[in-house]
Amino acid sequence: MLAILIQLFIAAFSSFLVVGLTSMYDPSSIEGGQINVGIAGETQDKLVQAGAREEGITVLQFQSEEDALAAFDRGGVDAVLVGRNTPTEQGTRVTVEAIVPAEDLRTTLIVVQVRSMLTELERSERILRSDHLSFTPLQVPGEVNASPQFGFTYTILIPLLLFLPAFISGSIVVDSFTEEIERGTLELLRVAPVSLTDIVDGKAAGMILIAPGQALLWLVLLRLNGIAISHIVSLLVLVSALTTITVVIGLLLGLATGNRQQAQLLYSVIVLLLFGAALVLPEHPATTIALLAVDSATLSSFAYVAMFAVLAVVLYGVTRQYVAQFDPESL
Amino acid sequence: MRPRKLVRIAIWEVTKNAGGIDRRTLTVVLFAMGLFVLVAPMAASGGVGLDDGIYRVSVDESSPYYDVAAADDTFRVVSDTDRSDLTDGRAELLIEGQRIEHAPSPKGLAAHEEFRTTVQRYNDRQLGLEANNTAAFPVAVTLEFVKQSGLGNAIGVNTPEETQPDDATTGPGDGTDGSGDSTDGGGDGTDDSGGGTAEPDDGTDTTADDSAGDGGATDGSDDATDGGSDGAETSGDDTGDGSQQIGDITAPLSDDDGLSGSPSDIDPPFPFQSLILAFIFVIPLNFIIQAYGSTMLSERLNRRGELLLVSPVTRLDIIGGKTLPYFLGALAIESIIAVALVFVARGELGGLLSVLAMTPLVLLFLGSTFLGAMFARSFKELTFVTVTITVGLTSYAFVPAIFTDVNAIALISPLTLVVRDLQNEAVTLAEFTFSTLPPLLAALVLFGLGTGLYREEDMFDQRAIPGKALDALAGPISKPWHVGLMTAVLIPFVFVVELLAIAVLFALGEISVVLILIVVAVVEEIGKSLHVYASFQHHRFERTGRTAVALGLFSGLGFFVAEKIGLLAQLVDLPELAIGEAGLVGGALVGPLVLLFLFLPLLLHTVTATISTLGATRGRRTYLLAVAVAIAVHFGYNLTVVTLLV
Repeated sequence: MLAILIQLFIAAFSSFLVVGLTSMYDPSSIEGGQINVGIAGETQDKLVQAGAREEGITVLQFQSEEDALAAFDRGGVDAVLVGRNTPTEQGTRVTVEAIVPAEDLRTTLIVVQVRSMLTELERSERILRSDHLSFTPLQVPGEVNASPQFGFTYTILIPLLLFLPAFISGSIVVDSFTEEIERGTLELLRVAPVSLTDIVDGKAAGMILIAPGQALLWLVLLRLNGIAISHIVSLLVLVSALTTITVVIGLLLGLATGNRQQAQLLYSVIVLLLFGAALVLPEHPATTIALLAVDSATLSSFAYVAMFAVLAVVLYGVTRQYVAQFDPESL
Repeated sequence: MRPRKLVRIAIWEVTKNAGGIDRRTLTVVLFAMGLFVLVAPMAASGGVGLDDGIYRVSVDESSPYYDVAAADDTFRVVSDTDRSDLTDGRAELLIEGQRIEHAPSPKGLAAHEEFRTTVQRYNDRQLGLEANNTAAFPVAVTLEFVKQSGLGNAIGVNTPEETQPDDATTGPGDGTDGSGDSTDGGGDGTDDSGGGTAEPDDGTDTTADDSAGDGGATDGSDDATDGGSDGAETSGDDTGDGSQQIGDITAPLSDDDGLSGSPSDIDPPFPFQSLILAFIFVIPLNFIIQAYGSTMLSERLNRRGELLLVSPVTRLDIIGGKTLPYFLGALAIESIIAVALVFVARGELGGLLSVLAMTPLVLLFLGSTFLGAMFARSFKELTFVTVTITVGLTSYAFVPAIFTDVNAIALISPLTLVVRDLQNEAVTLAEFTFSTLPPLLAALVLFGLGTGLYREEDMFDQRAIPGKALDALAGPISKPWHVGLMTAVLIPFVFVVELLAIAVLFALGEISVVLILIVVAVVEEIGKSLHVYASFQHHRFERTGRTAVALGLFSGLGFFVAEKIGLLAQLVDLPELAIGEAGLVGGALVGPLVLLFLFLPLLLHTVTATISTLGATRGRRTYLLAVAVAIAVHFGYNLTVVTLLV
């Protein structure tokens, strides 16, 4: 119950991150409107032309830079562009000084608009100078109204949400195992007609089963939010496999140390390390999750899922063997 | 509290209890961390291709776009496809010659947009190889952030120099940077124009910035004169400009700071810096609170802590002694990080300000873990508590710091002070207080509540967390006026939550004012009445209407007085943002009706507090109902005030 609450909390946090960060990261997603750009300097005409071709920009010409800056200071214009021709060894370059408001929420939007206007200027300038260029720039595809969160949702959010239950399950196994040892209640359990293997099985099974359950809950919630997710079964298999691996790590650490502090510390370090070390794989599990969820999976992604499943089963089997031979008196 | 005993317990904690971490564990941990350090650069350099191959593009090798798609890992080139595959979801983009089509789905649109940026990047890369650099990059831009005095003149107390965040840390400045700095420094940006800007241009010319190949080569002479001539120039800029860099051939004009270069090089300010800082500073704290939580909770297992409790030391000695090593350890780690970062960023020793700014955050982590360890019944619960603490406090540290361009919001997080320190920017005492005092007070409150539970009755029984929480709140209350005091004590908490809510919600636009008002009403009403409910539950007072009214009055009064901590916000002009006003100041304005404005909030707080306390006399259900009513009243009042005044 608490687990689910905390996950909801984290979910709220991450959905904030989605909206907040991506709107920061891709500022064109912020609702815009018109901005006024003041233009001064010797290359006024070029800038005015570029501004006229850009939607959302109204161009105001100023006689001098002083006038433009004064208007900017009053808030009459949102940005000032001062253009100059600067001679270089190979010709002339247009040097533009762009002045945008500091500490304003709209700064991001203004910078984006100004950037797109100047990119337009750059494009037309390049055409003028194409004689000096050996490479003809490729036509840039037109803008479409794409969701800026799309990539983030699949490559960061979903892997995060699916890894989290796996990590937490392992951590809980460490807790519940070391606690039994530290409190001495493991003794009591062993008096009952169950073997250590049974105890381990019971603790592990609960935690391994809960993780795909949580993952499924996430996926359903995301679907309700209109985010299509494919290959749910494979995703759940992968989550179960990863959870089994973390649970095995947790169990072994609990048995080996018999002390929560040590076991938890080791657990977090080792899991973090494994997560990082997975980078040496041609395809990181996080990427596998992204590919499966976004429906771009190749055969190799499915092969990875199968590989992790087999690895999980083998690891668990080996651990059971180890536990069966383990001398409980040594705890 | 006697220092000698406290230190004795601290030494025991280190020598005996930290035996929880034995040498074997330590070796493994160090070994693993070492490995991790080895892996990290590989991960960073290789570009953690999380989005590798998520979009499939069908393109023929003869198409000019083939190289573009093949060079970007985000795209996977598929063959043998035709138009029907777009609708069937076997490919997202179909390129035939110059024509680009995308699948009719969100994924297709996203793929198209991604391809757009990829083509732009490809163009820039190819043009970077051109011999004629000027023709390849005919436009050079310098971005400058200048404050407009016409609007919102009090939003920031910064001078323009302070808002140029990147110079000091990213170091390299190129030729165009020079012009930016000079305009800024030499006239505070706005008034002086002709002379200030013409000058650096000359510099750019004479030093032949654009000599083939290394367009980014910097003109040191120009910058040097800038730094020398204008006194307003901060030394951060100087350091930044001092470390120069030969431009990368693939990105001739770029110096990665997003402030200058060709048009595609400029970026709106993005808070990567604070993100990374948040992780560097906060991750070690997570390990420390794990160990700290463990040792605190293990005192409660099998009544181990009883031995210390019966010994001739006070509770404060025990708690202080057990906390001290972790506090000092955390502080040491943060200091090392701070000094190292300052050294990297500025090339000199420093970082005292960073350490001072992190101290309240460290205390907040430890304080909430301590209280969590007092609440939790088992390690399992403790794990959940620590996860919650980690997420909550990390967002507290990180979210406000995102908005580096909105001074007042950014300062909610102490991390902003660290960023400033790294950039060698001045921080006023007011800003420092605003940023650090609320978390510091909140941490002290947490320790205080936890200390209330550090006794035999509470430590060794198995009550559920909510019950424990009520115990902690009711503990110190025995007389009616204690209720007012308790309300006042809880204020920093309320304040921290409200600040966090402002930081989280303010980017949402219009609706955020309403949302924040809701959060404010909820948090304040709960803060005013929860301990009253707790003390009724513990039979501290008679459950009569008269007592309830009296307690409500005390609580409202206590809140009203202590709420003046909200005036702190004015130190950094938070109220200038309409939303800050909505959230924190309510009606406390100065005007002809100043008395009325002072009186109204007092009335509001006492009335709503009384509503909830009346409900609290009965039981849980009536209490919740009454709080809901109080919240509604509070919200209605705030909304009226805001719509009338803002």
